Formats: sequence, C-alpha cells, structure tokens
Amino acid sequence: MKAKEGMMRPGHEGPARDTPILVALGVAIVAAVAVTVVYALGGQPQLEGALLGLALGGVAVALIVFARRMLPGGHFVQVREDLPGTADERASVASAFSTGAEPMERRSLIVKMFGLAVGALGLAALFPVRSLGTRPGSSLRHTDWKPGTRVVTKNGQPVRVEELDVNTILTVFPEDHPDSADSQTILLRLPPGVRVPGPGDWTVEGVVAFSKICTHAGCPVSLYQAETQELFCPCHQSTFSVPKGAKPTFGPAARPLPQLPIGVDGQGFVVAKGDFTEPVGPGFWSRPSD
Amino acid sequence: MIKRISGWVDDRLSAASFTRHALNKVFPDHWSFMLGEVAMYSFVVILVTGIFLTFFFDPSVAHTTYEGSYEPLRGVEMSEAYRSTVELSFDVRAGLVMRQAHHWGAIVFIASLVVHMLRVFFTGAFRRPREINWIVGVTLFILAFFNGFTGYSLPDDLLSGTGLRIAYSIALSVPVIGSWLAFLVFGGEFPAHEIIPRLFVTHVMIVPGLIIGLLTVHLAIIWRQKHTDFPGPGRRETNVVGSRLWPTYAFNSIGLFFAVFAVLIAMGGLLQVNPVWLYGPFHPDQVPSPAQPDWWLGWTEGALRIIPSWEIRAFGYEIPNPFFAGALLPGITFGFLYLWPFLEARVTRDREPHHILDRARDRPVRTALGMTTLTFYVVLQVAASNDLMANKLAVSVATITRVFQVLIIVLPPLVGYLTYRLMKGFQVSRAERFSAVPLDAVLHPKRYDNGAPEEETSEEPEASTTAS
Amino acid sequence: MRRSLAPLLLMLATVAGCTYFREEAEPYRPPVYYGPSEAAGSVDPGQHLYMRDCAYCHGNDGKGTSQGPDLTVETNGGALTDFVLRTGRMPVAAPPQQMEPGPPVYNDREIADIVAYVTSQFRAPGPAVPNVDLSKGELAVGQQVYQEHCAACHSTTGIGGAMLIHPDEDEPRKTRGIVIPDFGRSGPLAVAEAVRTGPGSMPVFGTRAISDHELESLLVYMGYLKDPADEGGAPIGRIGPVVEGAVGWLVGLGLLLLVIRWIGTKAGEVE
Repeated sequence: MKAKEGMMRPGHEGPARDTPILVALGVAIVAAVAVTVVYALGGQPQLEGALLGLALGGVAVALIVFARRMLPGGHFVQVREDLPGTADERASVASAFSTGAEPMERRSLIVKMFGLAVGALGLAALFPVRSLGTRPGSSLRHTDWKPGTRVVTKNGQPVRVEELDVNTILTVFPEDHPDSADSQTILLRLPPGVRVPGPGDWTVEGVVAFSKICTHAGCPVSLYQAETQELFCPCHQSTFSVPKGAKPTFGPAARPLPQLPIGVDGQGFVVAKGDFTEPVGPGFWSRPSD
Repeated sequence: MIKRISGWVDDRLSAASFTRHALNKVFPDHWSFMLGEVAMYSFVVILVTGIFLTFFFDPSVAHTTYEGSYEPLRGVEMSEAYRSTVELSFDVRAGLVMRQAHHWGAIVFIASLVVHMLRVFFTGAFRRPREINWIVGVTLFILAFFNGFTGYSLPDDLLSGTGLRIAYSIALSVPVIGSWLAFLVFGGEFPAHEIIPRLFVTHVMIVPGLIIGLLTVHLAIIWRQKHTDFPGPGRRETNVVGSRLWPTYAFNSIGLFFAVFAVLIAMGGLLQVNPVWLYGPFHPDQVPSPAQPDWWLGWTEGALRIIPSWEIRAFGYEIPNPFFAGALLPGITFGFLYLWPFLEARVTRDREPHHILDRARDRPVRTALGMTTLTFYVVLQVAASNDLMANKLAVSVATITRVFQVLIIVLPPLVGYLTYRLMKGFQVSRAERFSAVPLDAVLHPKRYDNGAPEEETSEEPEASTTAS
Repeated sequence: MRRSLAPLLLMLATVAGCTYFREEAEPYRPPVYYGPSEAAGSVDPGQHLYMRDCAYCHGNDGKGTSQGPDLTVETNGGALTDFVLRTGRMPVAAPPQQMEPGPPVYNDREIADIVAYVTSQFRAPGPAVPNVDLSKGELAVGQQVYQEHCAACHSTTGIGGAMLIHPDEDEPRKTRGIVIPDFGRSGPLAVAEAVRTGPGSMPVFGTRAISDHELESLLVYMGYLKDPADEGGAPIGRIGPVVEGAVGWLVGLGLLLLVIRWIGTKAGEVE
C-alpha cells in the first residue's frame, strides 16, 4: 500500500519553483557573512541576533519550501504490528527467567542475606547526603543580637537616636556581626501621637525595632507606608501594622514581625537589649511559640 | 557514494536492514505533532548556547569588585557569579546574545512543553500503550521546570536571590523534615554559600544528563510504538499514514530545527531578557520590586499570594503557610499528572490500546475536566501579577487579591461546565468549526434535530463521519 | 406622550454625563477668595498666590482646615512646598485620596514666590529647598543607594509599584491602594526634595540615612535610569519576568506555532 516514489506535488512546475529556495539561501549566506564582519568589528548584540536569525531562518525556509515543493507528500502508509507479544513468546520469557533462577530457589537464606546486604549498603550510601549541610540545631531560633550590642547601618556606623527623623526607616545589623543576614532589623521612629508597640522598655522615644525578615516566606519587608505606619512586603503583599506591634493586617503572613528590644547606651547610641524573644522569619515544624 | 559508506558501516554493524527500515518509517504529519519537536529543538539551542556560557560563568560567591565596562556597577562589590554574568553580558563578544538566547530558549522550551502536554492530554494520546511515555514526559516536564529555576538563580542577582530565599522558606515549611531539608540542600542557614556552586552542577550536568537520557527513552518509545494520529481518510487503528522519515520528514524536521534556532537567536539579540545589571547583586536584606519568578513558576507564586494566612499549629508543631502553595500544590499537581492515564482508564473502564486520537469534542468529560484544571492554573498565573495590576489600575492590591480569591473558586467550574456544553453542542450538531456550532445545539442538545442526540460512549468516534 | 419622554431623559442624562466627565481644561480656581484684593496696591506675589489658591484648604495661617493639612509642622518647609508645586501635585480642587503628579500649575517664578512666602510666614521645621550639584555624584554609589533604599518601592528599573493603606483603624478590611510613582516627569530637584521630606506615604530619608554625597550620587543614577543601557535589545517595559513570559509565549511560541502550521497538515488533510 505504498504510493509512487518521488511523486512531485502538483502546481509547482518550472524554474519559478526554485526561486524562493535560492533567495532564502542567498539571504542566509549574506547574513552569515555579515555577522562575521560585525563580530570582527567588535560585535553588537542586536545586529548579531538579527543577522544570525536571518541566516538560520533562510536555511529553515529553504529546507521547508524544498520539502513542500519537491519531496513526496504524506500519503505513505505503514502497518502497525500488534505490540503485545504472543502468548508463546511471553511464556518462553517466563520460563527462561525461572530456569535461570533455579539455583537460587532452594537457597532462600542466601537470597535473603543478599537482600539484607544490598539494603544495608543502600542505607549506608545515603549517609554522605548528610555531609551536604549542617544540622539546623538551634540556629533557626536565634540571631546574632545580644544585650548591649550596638546597632549599625550597612556601612558599619552606629546610630544615635537623634539622627532618626520621624518616619525615617533604617536597616540595621549587630555591630559585631554586620553581615548577619538573619539579624537584619528595621529601625524606625514613629510620629508623635502614634501608639508605640511593645513593652515600654523595648523602645526609645518612639523609635522601635522589628525583624526585617517577613514571617511568611522570608523576603526583607522593605516597603514602608508612612501615613499609617505599615510595613509592606513586595513578595506576596503581606502588610504589617507597626503601631499594632507589626501585626499582619493583610496578606498571607500569619504572625507579626518579632520586635527587637532596644535602648540607648551611655554614649547615646542605640543598642539592642537582647535577642528577639521568638525565632525570626518564616515558620518551621518545630518552631517554638511564645 | 552513499552505497560505499553504507556498505562500510553495514560491514561492521550489520545495520543495513535497520537503516532501510528507519529511512522508510512513516510519521503522521499533523502540525500539532510537531510541538514536541519544537520543545526538543529549543532544548538543543539551550544546550548549545549553554555550553558557551559555561566557559565564562564563574559559579562562586567569593567577593570581588566589578571593574568591567558597565559604568553603574564599577567599583561595586559583588559575588564572582554576578560579576562573571555582567562581564559576559557587556565585555564578551556575542556573550549577551548567547545568554539571552539561552534564557528565551528556556522560556519557549517550557511553553512548548505545556502546549505539547495539553495536546497529548486533550487527544487522549496517553492511553494504553503510551502510559510509560506519559510518565517519562511528565518527568521531563518537571526536570525542565527545575532546571529553568536553577538556571536563572545562578547569576546571584537581587531578583533571583529573592526567589531562592522563598524556595528555602518553602523547604523549611515541609513538616517534620523541613529544616533538615533546607539546610541540606542549601548547605546551612540562608544565605548559605554552597548554594550557587550546587545549583551550577545540578543545572549544567545532573539535570541536563537526566533530560537527555529521558528524552532518548521518550523518542525510542515513540519509534517503537509508532506515533498516534487523528481520525481521517485511510487512517485505522492498524496503520499509520504520513510522510517517510527520508527524505520528507527529515527535511521538515531539520528545517524546523533551523526555524527554532533562528527565532530564539533573533530574540536573543533583539529582545532584552533578565537584565541582571539593572537588578543589582544579591543582598539578603534587600529586595527588588516587582518580584515575580519566571513565568513557569507563576502558578505557585500566585498561589502564595492569594492563599489566606492559614497556618496550622498543634501539639507544639506547626505547618507554616508557604507549605500549602509551595509544596502541597505542586505535589498534588504532579501527582495527578502522573496518575491521570490510570485514573481515566479505571473510570472509563477502557483498557484497550488506542492509536487513533480523540478529538476534544468526542470526550466532553475529559475535555471539560482538562479545561477546569487549566483555568485553575491560569487564574493562579495571572494572580501572580496582582501588584502590577494594582499599579496600572490604581486599585488597592487587597481588592485585586480578593477578586482572585473569588475567581479561583468560581471560574474553573464555570469554564468546565461551559466547555462540556460546548463539546456536546459540537457532537450533536456535527459542526466542524467553533463558529458553526448553533447556539441551539449547546443550549438544548437533546432537542436538536439535525441527527440523533448522541450518547456519550467510551468508544472511538467513527473516522469517516468526522473527516472534513 | 409617555413613551417619548424616556429617550429625552436618556439624552439629557447622556449629555449631563458627558459634561461631568469632560476633561478639566481651565486652571484651578478655588470657590472663595479670602485674601487681600488685587486692587489693594502692591502685595507680596507669593502671599497673593497663597491666599488665592491655597488658603481655602490650608488656612490663612497655614495651620490647616478640614480640607487640608497643617503646613507648619513635620517636614513641611521650602523643600516640600517646592516639591508639591513643581510636580503638579498641588493645588487640587478637593482633598485627594493620594497626591497625584501632573503638569505644574505655576511657572518657576510663581513657585519661588510661594515658597518664599510659606517659609518666611509659617517657619515650618522641614528642610529648605536643597542645593543639588550633580557633578559631584558618582554613578556606582548611586546604584548602591538606589538598590538599598529605593528599589523595593519604586522598582529596580524605576517603573513604580503599589502597596496599600488601611485608612480606617476601626475597619480592618477596608483598604486603599497606594500607587508608587515612576520617575518619568520628576527632575533631580524634585527627587531630592521628596527624599528629604517624605511626601505622602514615602518615608523620610534624612542625612543619616542618605548623606548629601549619596543623595547627589543617587540623582545621577536616577538620571541614568531614565535612559539605561538596554544592551540586550528592546527593553519591553523593563517590568521583569511577567512581561518576558508573555513575550516569550506570544512572540517566541507564536512564531513557531505559525511555522509548524506551515510545515504540517491540518485536520483531515492529506498532502
């Protein structure tokens, strides 16, 4: 049931048949040469992309038009053989297997021990996976803040309370661990008249400090909406109201941002009075609640 | 000359009869069967451009200072990974075209995989004997997904680093093993320093190796089983009608490869993608906005945004919020994908082999369920841009989020129901085009008088009556 | 007779509706004028403008009314006054939900007059109009300052963003959207003023947060962001992965779908 070989498709006779193919290949050649020139002269991404696209596209068009016009079409037929084997074939597979397995049949202890050995080795082989990382331990429950640690901005400079204007927001770190990612803290001064959250000895003159790590999925809560003192996380739009203790007021975050107790040291610099009293950031299975 | 070469090879490999059989092999020509090829050739382009990139990218988080030609970053401290990416983009000839073609390639690769998967689903090509290939295909899909994510996270820029932070938090949220899982994968508490080199090895060697292996299996199974085909003149369960591998199919396929390469490289030069130099290097206390992942993770991102602030706490343990959207949803999604052929076979009690495809209208229930599911993911996908919509429409992002919370419940079943009615309308009116289906057939299928009202059966449609 | 009334009413309603939504072409004029009359001899031009256009909402003494806030407190002063006038956020006919930028109502001369009047009269504690010298700014320093302080709200590429506000403490579910603006029409002076005074929802960045040198560098970088090096080609909005995904589907997959439609057969066709 096969059609004639080399059957040309109707409607494309004469030299005009070849023209589009030759033009496409011509364009491809010119474009390919041009891109080598562009490259030699220093390169330019837009020209490189456009010219390479033309070169490759020219070949593509040539191949496809050639196939459409000059190659036999899709009327060939092939028989599908029955995929499943015959019952005889399957039986012979089963018997070949069981004949080979005969010596093992009467030595079940050996077979079982083989199984145990492979199982034990497999378990042992999993252990190098443990080398991939450290034990979580208690690292998720603590940050690097300690009582008396001065807060510093990214450039390492400590902060005086007077330097903070109303509605000014700074990102601060512990002075002795300025690169500590889990210690990142928001320091901001609330406007007068606005309720100051947290215990009285955790804040200084309306200046409050909260963990910057969103309790939803860990992005830094970087947006501050000064009119109603709300912190906003750009990742999934969790909103935290600072006067309400950074309580989530919208979005998928379920827990407030932990508050860092702060005070002022003898020289007038803002210091932490201790670590956060709960783990910062997103939740995890064994997270202790307050 | 060909005779001499093939003789030489046959002498050593006894390949003559296989080669003749292969050259004459028939493949059906429907355009939608080439979607898988578009995916495959996108993957080839990704491989080729990716190999170029590996010669320049430095997968290290060691600190360095940028001294290249991009002025706004000169003197700025950053990781080697970020520096090498910016240098590749500005100071290596053809570097940026290769990098952008690689990224556009990934975007188009996964897009074509989705459309290919939908084609296979809606035509029932996953039915016996092709369940194994469906499983291989879903695995390829997951691997592509994963490699796309690891790929754009390599440059250690502010946007992708934020995505890694979210991935870490999702790992953390897994019950019982979460903190161990996160610490093992990342090498410690975020931002652990091992993650970039590990992503690199995974992205460049492990996953591509798996993809190449599974792709070979995927193609080998198609070769062995022969491709399915739509009902049409001359088509039977017992034959395959189309072009021969040589010369027609080969020319068409190679032409398609050149077309894919052309489109991707042209986009790579003409359309800017992932301009990491504008995002800046990653710092764990900074975040960019808008913050969305690449498109194929849009559905998980949308879910993370619209799922209410549920967290489960009991007996001193908790399941935090990101678990539901970040781990449970993908788990259920891929689980269902894997199980679908077996679920459908069980429900329809159809365990016969099928080589002739369904048209969507012939299976109104499957089509409707598929459209319901697709709508669900599309709504999630669009929900991921809620902040962009809030900015453009000057509406509160809370309002937009609440709208999507309603849509995710209401829209999928509505679309499913309408799809079902439309498919039934197609069936009873025997129309060929969407525009030719009379409204009456959709509204009152049983009363429609052009042909007897159809009962939904699980057998194949008659090939001759549905041909155009 | 009754049937023909309806179309007439509809027509009237349409005309009324069109009139209501017509673009406001005339310049701002408040309903009542409280100040000294123009014919009363030489009047300080700034005072004249303030009394004519601002006093209705902000009060003759600048201490505010139910329509407009107190201009004598917080970060008010030369910089903030100059900012709202220069960016066309003020004056407005009614208290806005959120101040919106637009074409300025006054020219530079008039703005300077009003600023002079306001600063001398109200003596608000906020900063004066800053002196910006872009020649001292460093582009790379500006990039780091922008990324640290600005990118999260205004976006890494300066296209703006969105957040929300709970305007009513007693109604927790009520929210209002805040549009974070892009920098399209803001010159360096306006940006410097906004940084130092934190207008509207914006936080205040004093010299501790952003030093003067950092501010100048920031302005240089923001000037760059208006026309950045789009080395990779058409920037497609500089919005990020959302648009890139859409373009990848529409252009990339779209073109390739056309190609395979061309190569392959359609339903039921045989070649």
